[in-house]
Amino acid sequence: MYITGIRVHSPQTVAEALELLADLKNARILAGGTDILVDLKQGLTKAGDLISLKNIQELKGIEKKGKTIRIGAFTTPQEIHSNSLIRQHFPALAEAARSMASAQIRTLATIGGNITSAVPSADLPPSLIAADATAELRRAESTREIPLFEFFAGPRETVCRKEELLVSVRIPLPPPYTGISYKKFTLREANALAVASAASRLTLKNNKMEKVTVVLGAVAPTPVLAKKTAGFLQGKTTSQNLFEEAAALAVEEGKPISDIRGSAWFRKELIRVLTLRSLAEALERALGKTGEKKNSL
Amino acid sequence: MNQDKEPKRIVTLKVNGEEHFVAVRDGETLLDVLRDRLRLTGTKKGCNLGVCGACTVLVDGEPQNSCLLLASSCEGAEVTTIEGIAQDGELHPLQRSFIHHGAVQCGFCTSGVVMGAFALVRKNPDPTDEEIKEALSGNLCRCTGYKRILEAVKNWKKYQKSKEPPSHSFDLDKFTTVGRSLPRVDAADKVTGRAKYTADYYFENMLYGKILHSPLPHARIKKLDTGQAARLPGVKLILTGKDVPDITYGVSPARYDEHVLAKDRVRHVGDEVAAVIAVDEETAEKALGLIKVEYEELPAVFDSLEAIKEGAPQLHDRYRNNINTVVDHHFGDIEKGFAEADHIREEEFVGNHVNQSPIEPHASIAFWQNEGSTLVLYSSTQVPHYVHYMVARVLDMPLGKIRIMRPPVGGGFGQKAATTPLDLITSIASKKTGRPVKMVYSREEMFLYGRGRHKQHMKFKIGVKKDGRITAVQSRIYLDGGAYTSFGVITAYYAGSMIPTLYHLPNYRYEGFRVMTNKPACGAMRGHGTPQPRFAFESLLSMIAEDLGIDPIEIRLRNAMDPDTRTCNDLDVRSCEFKATLQEVRKKSGWDRKYGKLPPGQGIGIGCGGFVSGAGYAIYRGQVQRHSEKKPETFVKKAVFPHANAIVKISEDGTAAVLLIQAAEIGQGSSTVLSQICAETLGISLDRVRIRTEDSDISPLDLGAYSSRTTLMGGNAVTMASKDVLQKLFTTAAGIWKCDPQDLEARDNRIFHRSDKSKVIDWEETARLYFNDKGPLVGTGWYKPPEGLGGDYKGAAVGTSPAYSYSSSVCECSVDLETGKVKVERFTDYHDCGTPINPQAVHGQVEGAIVMGAGETLMEEVRYGEKGNILNPNLHDYLLLTIKDSPEIFSGIVDSYEPEGPYGAKEVGEGATLPVLAAIAHAIANATGVWIKELPITPERILKALKEKKS
Repeated sequence: MYITGIRVHSPQTVAEALELLADLKNARILAGGTDILVDLKQGLTKAGDLISLKNIQELKGIEKKGKTIRIGAFTTPQEIHSNSLIRQHFPALAEAARSMASAQIRTLATIGGNITSAVPSADLPPSLIAADATAELRRAESTREIPLFEFFAGPRETVCRKEELLVSVRIPLPPPYTGISYKKFTLREANALAVASAASRLTLKNNKMEKVTVVLGAVAPTPVLAKKTAGFLQGKTTSQNLFEEAAALAVEEGKPISDIRGSAWFRKELIRVLTLRSLAEALERALGKTGEKKNSL
Repeated sequence: MNQDKEPKRIVTLKVNGEEHFVAVRDGETLLDVLRDRLRLTGTKKGCNLGVCGACTVLVDGEPQNSCLLLASSCEGAEVTTIEGIAQDGELHPLQRSFIHHGAVQCGFCTSGVVMGAFALVRKNPDPTDEEIKEALSGNLCRCTGYKRILEAVKNWKKYQKSKEPPSHSFDLDKFTTVGRSLPRVDAADKVTGRAKYTADYYFENMLYGKILHSPLPHARIKKLDTGQAARLPGVKLILTGKDVPDITYGVSPARYDEHVLAKDRVRHVGDEVAAVIAVDEETAEKALGLIKVEYEELPAVFDSLEAIKEGAPQLHDRYRNNINTVVDHHFGDIEKGFAEADHIREEEFVGNHVNQSPIEPHASIAFWQNEGSTLVLYSSTQVPHYVHYMVARVLDMPLGKIRIMRPPVGGGFGQKAATTPLDLITSIASKKTGRPVKMVYSREEMFLYGRGRHKQHMKFKIGVKKDGRITAVQSRIYLDGGAYTSFGVITAYYAGSMIPTLYHLPNYRYEGFRVMTNKPACGAMRGHGTPQPRFAFESLLSMIAEDLGIDPIEIRLRNAMDPDTRTCNDLDVRSCEFKATLQEVRKKSGWDRKYGKLPPGQGIGIGCGGFVSGAGYAIYRGQVQRHSEKKPETFVKKAVFPHANAIVKISEDGTAAVLLIQAAEIGQGSSTVLSQICAETLGISLDRVRIRTEDSDISPLDLGAYSSRTTLMGGNAVTMASKDVLQKLFTTAAGIWKCDPQDLEARDNRIFHRSDKSKVIDWEETARLYFNDKGPLVGTGWYKPPEGLGGDYKGAAVGTSPAYSYSSSVCECSVDLETGKVKVERFTDYHDCGTPINPQAVHGQVEGAIVMGAGETLMEEVRYGEKGNILNPNLHDYLLLTIKDSPEIFSGIVDSYEPEGPYGAKEVGEGATLPVLAAIAHAIANATGVWIKELPITPERILKALKEKKS
């Protein structure tokens, strides 16, 4: 239960961090540490050099730039939840941040860590993906921006290259009549991983669903973009029956496993219920009945 | 230190306003630096993985888990710990609020909870309930049930201005101290981080030990090579099976079947193979990885029903077919009973394997004094005397040469009710090294050590007349015991013996089988062996009530136990207000308005329970003496020695009474209750009583905190010792007044003549006069359970007690019918604990039991992989209820008086767990229309049952 043999580097700028990443073989990023320190203590992972992002101001904070909101990778769930821009434009993300772990963890963890850990049950990715968020990945000479959905390659695997650093998440401001909702199922009310989760996004135009995104969490190695479900709804007029049919389709798109938190059968049941509930709430929000809600069942 | 080879850097930590320059390795956590370097031990290590919150400190004003922070990255940060929030000797209002609301029990989580609340109220002085729950959602408390924590935080401002707390209404007025909800005597130490638990002690030149656990569920040890580990710098000693005495130990005397370290065979993942003693824990841990063990793997069995089959792998030669204990009890004639029944129903139920998970991990420190002749052992234990006895047995030395120290214990619930490998290894290793040795379990090791609740497969059959009167009960129970006996023989008997205490059962048969499997040994957990059978019985009784169209509370009233009854299995019930508990919960919960009238998804249910107030007999037989000198003793139906003993010693100036009793304060409040009894009996105020329980050199033998015995047994011993003092004082005062000592009374720090009001003298003045003439003023007292308890059949001793408690609980819950998720909304509980000594403490026990019981009903279960490995040996995956999961609770106490108890009191600690499981199961059935008969009642099980019902 002791962490031995590590060396922590504390760069002051992203450039310094990238330099360290390039120079140090097998260096790992230390953000909030709520995952990696737990793994190190239990001997589940080994690390020599850790590059702490703590002192890099550029990675912190939330700002609006034109029609995009940028969240620095070192921003905590607590900051996300209490930020007025996020609460106004992305209540689902604020709620997801608030639902994470516990008060203590929320002041320590970071959005960058929650994403790059690529744990299938992570709370922030589903609603971010539903909101068309992108990941800003920087390396020494260049920056690339990819859709967040494409960031995930497998459980605890991402497309982030060894010398690359996730510096921010960017979310385009939602078009009018857009609603996003995140619903998850946990076995207890705090400090619990999602057994399954669903984020839905609806953009309405002329009484029809112009754009639909459904993202499923904790039911596959990576977040699932439920394309058939979304495609089924796209262009149609909303109705309860339609949502129920869509939720049944979503069940087919998840590839859940059985583990200590629930069987594949149970997760499939949850996909249906969570998809249905998140669609209903997304609709409410798209119609302007916004505001924060509790997102766990 | 060995770790010096790793580079260090100097960090400047500003802790509670003081600057510290500390050289740290990059991997050191803030928690370890605070505790091990700065010795600020108020911050606790509970899980070390960021889940329990016991290590919460403020870093730049934000509450954070110090176990998840690297000290090296806290350079320049402002750190506030529990030691830093009281100013100039003045407690923070929040701390005072915690004390006066009874929000503190074992105190181990308290530092973290107070820090979380402190961070909240600094930013938000008037938080709502929801905000408080959110802020404390990362602080697990195993004792309080969170209710009083919530209230303490909500009302903190009331403690802001005056030093004096708002006055409390007191529940009884015939006494001055007893019967009043006085704050705990240890609360101030616990809210300030001053209370020192075993792991908070550091001794000069101390070494640290860690255990090598078996990775296999069943194997023969073929080769053990410790050479490389021994060569690691900093390693001082390695112990293996050949280095420890060839003497077995355990709990149930008939089946001592454990060795300190495995002699040649391991029987579960986690079995103790070797121990490394080194200059620090890191080095010891590292050395474990260098020990090479060659195992010959043996077939293993993990399921009790598989283990009893012919040809199943055998764990011990002496337990044929892996059957460790068999019980066959038959009282009356069940064939006749069932023949008389109008309705018979039989159902099968399955319990779950639950771990007590106190927030404080087990810890022991041992060293030798007096030229190495006397062992001093600090142990985080509920049962200092049994540890004393067992260490004496294994080391084969007289009890008089051992001094047991029991600092405050951070919760036990039965997991600390036996001698641990830590107790024995530290004792042996400190002898061999000549240095103090400290060992502390990690959270994972607590699961590997086990001693949790037996998983029981239960078949129950109840026969009733048309009016619901029970004619016969039959049960057959298989208990999954794990790899060793521990308490198991007693557990197997308890599973049957407590069923007849609640209802009149004319005919009863119980067959029990405790089975060995390749898993950590099970032991005694809160309610010892009885909660699962009680869950099964109560569930079945509610089903039968519904079959017959009788109200479930009504069927209980028709069968309920009466006072002064001998049960069918020869247990003697004295006080019994079970019916009153039923009537009160019915009224208070609004049962008649709600039962059968709630919409789908909402439910209400009832469960009942009862428990012993202390076991009638000690765990071991015969004298208190060195084991190897004992003659074989046959069981006699009386206590050989007193189970509780007390000394009251008055200070020479008469202003203080020091109460010496070894009763183990583990959070339940025994030190407070015993002090109240002492003050009341002596006629002095509580602030004049100090209790010393921790040192066996000072305090006389008490059997410890198990079987809910302390209030009744310890209380009786304290009463007797206090009366002994009083008699001496009365003689002195009577000498002055030339009157009969019989006519004197002591109250309010004075001694006075009952009829002649002119004769009044200060209590302390009398005590001084006594001392001037006769020397030390000391009183002694002791308690033995009544002689002749129990019947004459095999196993009749288990279940005997001087008194029995009773309780009824009504649960209201809502169930999401689409996901199966249960929200326990409300609990209404009434307990017959006799006449309470401290009502607030009683409510605290009930509330804690409800939340713990709800956890084991809904989500707690130790899960195993295919190779007998535990899948969830941490508090992240082994789910305890958080403050956000916990229900609203109303706890009430019915009028009752137990003649055998001190001031009429009897138990509350364990009994309060018993009604909870069935009350929740019934409420869920009431909400959903499906009975779940397997614990835990998970959303998945509910949903599956709902789907099956639909199809």
